This record gives sequence, structure tokens and C-alpha cells, in this order.
Amino acid sequence: MKGSFFRSMTWLHTWVGLLVCWLLYLIFFAGTLSFFRDEMSIWSQPAVHNITAQADRVGAQRAQIKAGFDYLNKHAGNSSNWRVTLPEPRVPYLKYGYAKPKEPGQRRSKFQDNNINPNTMEPLAPFVDTKGGNFFYRLHFDLHYMSPITARWIVCFASLFMLIAIISGVIIHKRIFKDMFTFRGNKGSRSWLDVHNLSSVLALPFHLMITYTGMITLIFMLFPYPALTTYDDGIGGFYNEVVPSNHVTDKAEGEAPMVDINTILDQVYTKWPAADITRVQVSNPNMASSTITVLVSPGKELRDQTPRLIFSGATGQLVAQTVDELTASKMLFESLNSMHTGRLADPLLRWLYVLGGIAGCVMIGTGCTLWAKRIRERNKSDIKPSLGLKLVESLNLATIMGLPLATCVYFLANRLLSTSVTERADKEVLAFFLTWLAVAVLAFIKQDKLQWRVMAVINSVACLSVPLINAITTNGNIITYFLHKQWTLFMFDALFLVFSFLFYVQSKKLCTATTREKAINASSSNKLTGQQG
Amino acid sequence: MINLLSFSLCLLAFNGFAMAKNGHFKAIFNKRLDDVKRKQFLVLAWISILLSFSVCIFTQSGYGALQFFGFAGLSVLLVMTFNNFFVKLAKPFLIINFILLVISALYLALTLY
Repeated sequence: MKGSFFRSMTWLHTWVGLLVCWLLYLIFFAGTLSFFRDEMSIWSQPAVHNITAQADRVGAQRAQIKAGFDYLNKHAGNSSNWRVTLPEPRVPYLKYGYAKPKEPGQRRSKFQDNNINPNTMEPLAPFVDTKGGNFFYRLHFDLHYMSPITARWIVCFASLFMLIAIISGVIIHKRIFKDMFTFRGNKGSRSWLDVHNLSSVLALPFHLMITYTGMITLIFMLFPYPALTTYDDGIGGFYNEVVPSNHVTDKAEGEAPMVDINTILDQVYTKWPAADITRVQVSNPNMASSTITVLVSPGKELRDQTPRLIFSGATGQLVAQTVDELTASKMLFESLNSMHTGRLADPLLRWLYVLGGIAGCVMIGTGCTLWAKRIRERNKSDIKPSLGLKLVESLNLATIMGLPLATCVYFLANRLLSTSVTERADKEVLAFFLTWLAVAVLAFIKQDKLQWRVMAVINSVACLSVPLINAITTNGNIITYFLHKQWTLFMFDALFLVFSFLFYVQSKKLCTATTREKAINASSSNKLTGQQG
Repeated sequence: MINLLSFSLCLLAFNGFAMAKNGHFKAIFNKRLDDVKRKQFLVLAWISILLSFSVCIFTQSGYGALQFFGFAGLSVLLVMTFNNFFVKLAKPFLIINFILLVISALYLALTLY
């Protein structure tokens, strides 16, 4: 029974992992990058590179909001929505935005954002049309080129498979603590298994947490039934109850001047004296039904829904607010959600999240490589590899080596595409997928060690070219970033240099391995000839 | 500095767990590990890991557990790297770990009192 149980678990671990490993690799890869999505977005917009952090960011908020309201009143008095987005530690610029009139067939209005330097209160140079880091954030759970709902169901199933693979992996790994610090190099599939085990064990709590909480973020899509049975208008009714909204003055008709924003802010600071306001939203400005929503950062609290106060724009009366004390179930949901996103994590914790994400990528990458490696070792050299083995090897090469290259090309496209190109942001995304497709085609033609080496060299050059092209096309480079203490930009370029070096080391290692294998083959064939002679 | 303290405690714990294994101990100190020493290493490791966890929870509240697990992952990675690839440097690494722990603890003690 015991033997059979372990065999069943091993079978489950192998097949559950192998079936979705490439999709999981994409999800982990994009998710890991998403922890730095704001930093990537800043790198993608050269107009904001030279903004220095404000000396008293929170203290300047009242004046910034007041200036924003004056600006929007003057330039967008007839707009249906206003939005004043304040600088945050990771996003150092100010945005005054308003909704443009809807075009025929449009479901939602597009926003016109005016970006301001908070130190000088002068408008910034025009932004380039790019998705920046948000592309990886959406790719993580919405994939691409398919409906978001379908994509989320696929991602949820992949996460479920991942959870099963992690649990069965813990069961089958009998020497989990004995082998904790062990790595046996140059031993074929044994070495791959050691790396697989090590990357799994060193971040096991992270892997479990991120997989489980990932499914929790989409729990109302997976299990809508409690809400469907409790609310007459289904899941919509549930959301209406959870998210506070104005039911006091929303039916009021006619025009009405807006109250002075200072009246609203006084109420906010009375309730939360040290409030760090992140955004102020206005719906139906200058109408009797207008509402002003003030959103405040929850600080270190494990909470995903931003605390907010909603006021009537015409009277300044508080009409709705988020609850201060969450119920146990809501607190659990909110904390699990915020644990997954790490939205409020400080830089140190953010780096630790990234370390966990990289360990996850290594775990998945070594897992799928290990399967192919073992089959190869089991097969005799004169037997032709099966179609399944070839398919797995191709997908391994396409995914593990293709995604880093596609990412480099995405950032290179950001710098090299002309700003006058129409739908420029989509063209950057297209460059990402075309590169990945090209690597996949190459991988399906041939999957041997030479292809891996070629891809390692290409990746090394591509990673090196990102900071180089950045230095040529913008006014800054890695040295000036270091001298001017622009750490976000410096780290971005430095990481690409580090990965360029790592890919170079990989190409050298693959070269050595190929030479060693050739030498072994040559000596064994010589021995055979000698014996025959 | 408090983060350095909790990290060095965590690193010390995993160094202790590694040293409690005969293979790693022998590779670094060139002698066999007796049972008394093995137990001492394990006790030190468990005390250290619990202290590290407590410091993380007390200082970071909500995100403390996550930070602790991040430190644990980083520690395992470092200990594995030194015990497998740079065995000769493993002893200096252990000493640096102690120095970091003492410096961060002393600094915090002096600033607090």
C-alpha cells in the first residue's frame, strides 16, 4: 500500500506538473515581473526619469488636490468624471485626468491625463504610448489574445494543478530536510533533481501562499453560488454591498456648483489626521448628483480595498464610506488578496517576493527539463526520440529561453519604435509575441544542446542591448543613474546586465558540457574499436 | 537595522541546521560531528529561527510572516551556495554571519537604551 501510495503520488506529481508547466512558467514569469510593474512603467516613460522625490509628499497633497480641482474646473467643466492621482513613493508624478466624451460604440469613456511634475507643478513632456509594466501584470492572469474570463478560468485551473503538484511533491520528497542544503553537480538528471528540490524547498511557503492566494483572488468567479443565492441581482448585488456607493444624492437632478474642496479635505483629515491620500475621484462634476471620493493608503495594513470616504460634491455631506473594522471573513479575504499582490510591501519585502518568484520559475523550469532529461537517459542512443519527448523538449526551449528574449525585445521596442506610430503600445506587445513565436518555431525545428547554446548567446546579447539602447536613445545611462541616485532606473539597467552575464555563463557551461560529452563518446567508441580489433 | 538583525538570526539558524549534518560539518571543519555538538547546533538553530520569526512579526505586523519566509528562502540559498560551491569560504561566511548579528544587536541595543 505504501509503495503504491508513493508511486501514485509520484505519478500525480509528474503528470499534473508536466501538463501545465509551460503555462505555469508564463504565469510565474509575468507575476514575478509584476512585482516591479510601477518601476518598469517608470523606465518606459523617459518623461518622468528626472523627477526627484518630494521632501514632504504627504504635506503637499492638499495644495496639489486644490490645484487639480482648479485645473479640471477650468479645462473639463463638462466632463462626466475627474480624477486627481497623487504621487506615491513608487510613482513620483501627479495626474489630473478627465473623461473624454464617449465615441459611438464605446462602453467606457477614455481618460485624458495631464501629467505634472509635483516639485515644479509644471506639465511633463508628452508620454509615449506604452503599457509599460502593466502588460506583464495583465499577462499574469488575463493572458493575451483571448477573453479575460476564459483566460482567468485557464489560469485558475493551472493554479489548482500547481497546488496539487506542490502538495504531492512534498509527499514524495522523503528526504526534504536531509537534502535541504545538498547539490550534486555534473551528475545528469540527479543534478537537475537537486536544483528542482532546492528551488521548491527554499521558497515552499511562498509557493504555497502565492498559489493558494492566487486562486482566492478569483474566488468569486470560481464560486459565485453563495452570492447568487443570497442576492436578488446576483454577484452585482454582492459587489454593490461590499463597495460603498452614494445612495443619498445620486438621484438629485440639475446643476449645482461644487463645494470648496478644502471643506471635504478638512473632514478627511479630521477622521484620519495622518491620511496619505492616493486619489480623489469626482463623478458628475458641477451637478447636484456629483460625488467626490477620497481614497487613502491603508499603510502597512493587510488590506486590498483602499479605505475611502464618499461625499456629495454639491453639499460636502459624507454619504458613504468603507468600514473601519472588517468582519472576520472580509479580513481573511482582504489579507489573502493583499498577500498575493504584495501591493503595500516595502522594497525589501518586494525583493523577497521576487526571489520567491524566481525560485518558482526555476522550480517549474527544472521540473519540465528533468522529465525530458530522464526519458533521454532511459532511451538507448540508437532509438529515435518519441514525438512526445520532442514536443516537451521544444516547449521547454521555447518557454524557458523564449520568454526572457521576448521581454528584452518588448523593452527594446519601447525605446526604438517611433512615438508617431499609431497604436504604439499594441506594437510593443506584438513585438513581444512575435519574438516568442520566432523562438518557438526555432525550437520546433531542432531542440538539441546547440539550440540552447545559441539561445543563451542571443539572450545574453539581448539583455546587454537593453541598457545600451536606453543609453543611446535617452539622456541617461546606468552611470548617470548611479551618480544621480536614480535607483529605480539604475537597478533596472543593472538587472539586465546581471542577466546578460548569467546567460553568457550558461552558454559557456553548455559549450563545456557538449565538449565533455563528445570526448566521452569518442573514448567509448575508441574502446569499442579496440575490443573489436 | 532591525531587518538585518532578523535576517542574520535566520541565516544563523540555517547555518546551524547545515552544521548539524555530518557531511557539511566534516567538509568545513574536517572532523566528525559528535552527537552532543549536533544537538547543540540544533538547539541554537531553533532558538535563532524562533527569535527571527518573532522580530519579523513584531516589527512588520501584517507582512512579518511573509518577510520571515523570504529571509528563510534567502538563507537556505546562501547556506547551500557556500556549503556546495565555496566550501573553503563557508567558515568565514559563518564568522561574518556572527559579526552581522552582533553588530545589528549592539546597534539596536545602543539606540534603544
